[in-house]
Amino acid sequence: MADISNPRPMVNSKLLKNYMGRRVTTVVKVARTEGGNVVGELPDGAPITVKQAPQHVAAQSQFMEVIGVVEGDRSLRAETCTSFGDNFDMSTYNDLCQLANIENRECFV
Amino acid sequence: MYQESGGGGDASLFAGGGFMPSQAATGNEFSSSVSGASRRSGGQDGGLQPLTVKMISQASQKPGDDAFYVDGLEINNVTLVGMVHDKDERNIDTSFMLDDTTGRIEVKRWIDGQDSYEYFEMQSVQNFMYVRVHGHLRTFQNKLNVVAFSVRPITDFNEVTFHFLEVIHVHLSRTRKGGVSAVATPALGNTMATPQNGMYTPVKTPIASSAIPAGGAKEECQRRVHSIYEEPASLQVEQGLHVDQVVQRMVGFTRAQVREAIDFLVNEGYIYSTIDDDHHKSTNG
Repeated sequence: MADISNPRPMVNSKLLKNYMGRRVTTVVKVARTEGGNVVGELPDGAPITVKQAPQHVAAQSQFMEVIGVVEGDRSLRAETCTSFGDNFDMSTYNDLCQLANIENRECFV
Repeated sequence: MYQESGGGGDASLFAGGGFMPSQAATGNEFSSSVSGASRRSGGQDGGLQPLTVKMISQASQKPGDDAFYVDGLEINNVTLVGMVHDKDERNIDTSFMLDDTTGRIEVKRWIDGQDSYEYFEMQSVQNFMYVRVHGHLRTFQNKLNVVAFSVRPITDFNEVTFHFLEVIHVHLSRTRKGGVSAVATPALGNTMATPQNGMYTPVKTPIASSAIPAGGAKEECQRRVHSIYEEPASLQVEQGLHVDQVVQRMVGFTRAQVREAIDFLVNEGYIYSTIDDDHHKSTNG
């Protein structure tokens, strides 16, 4: 069956604030870890802090996909993190976030 | 052998097994022995369509027709990209839920035994892994699912970005009137691994010919080509007609258009090739 009751839209910093308290998907360029948090950049370059991100995934590669809940406009609480390798094109992903959330929402959200 | 299996549950058992050629997989062979290829009224199959779960859930149906339509084109083969959840390995099949950010859909792969290719492919698929799925869209007991013929783990994650951009690109080119879309698809970084799909049928530009209505040029060409093959004189020749003979008769149409119409008629089962790829005859003969 096709269950579309819980979408997790792909976002950058501008779109993040539309989904306060809701689950989203984004890719973070990891800068460093601080305690249990991962600090990095969103697809449009804005800073983000990811809480409860598994350290071993953050350490694996430069880019990490985070599926989690928006807690603030610079903060995400992670639920699932996936290593996205070292060769991920952030600017194209950022364009995708814009295209999927604004002009072509009917295909995604 | 097939007469025993009526419609309904039996049809989906056989149709989904991966044992049947894809033409029969729509289930029509079982549900209607008389009407044959009557389900399409001249519209073309969408080829392989990149989709999201959301788009699949919004697919429409026409009355009296079991096919699903997205953006006006019939869906048959689909490709999806997403994360694997709830993988369930059983004796005859392996299934999982595919989460592609827009929603979740069940994906099923029939397994022909523990030494089969499908078994090995599905062994490497794990929960929380990103995969590229190619398969057929099906309904079973009123629920939509995908019967996969390929499930491949993704290694270059730019493919994820690519898939969604391709979905948007195809969607826009289908929904914009006039055919050719002016969408600028952003160029991907040079580390992109070549995806295995991308075989969707692009929308054709309407033919600029004064005698032919802009919207129906392709259908008109198909109709005329078909009627040429249906003429009694054509039916009498054992090897049928050569493409050149048809082209000569189709004044105002290019060779490429005639060739395309012939290919369409072959796919639909109205004509078949005889002594070589350039000779065809009506299946009514």
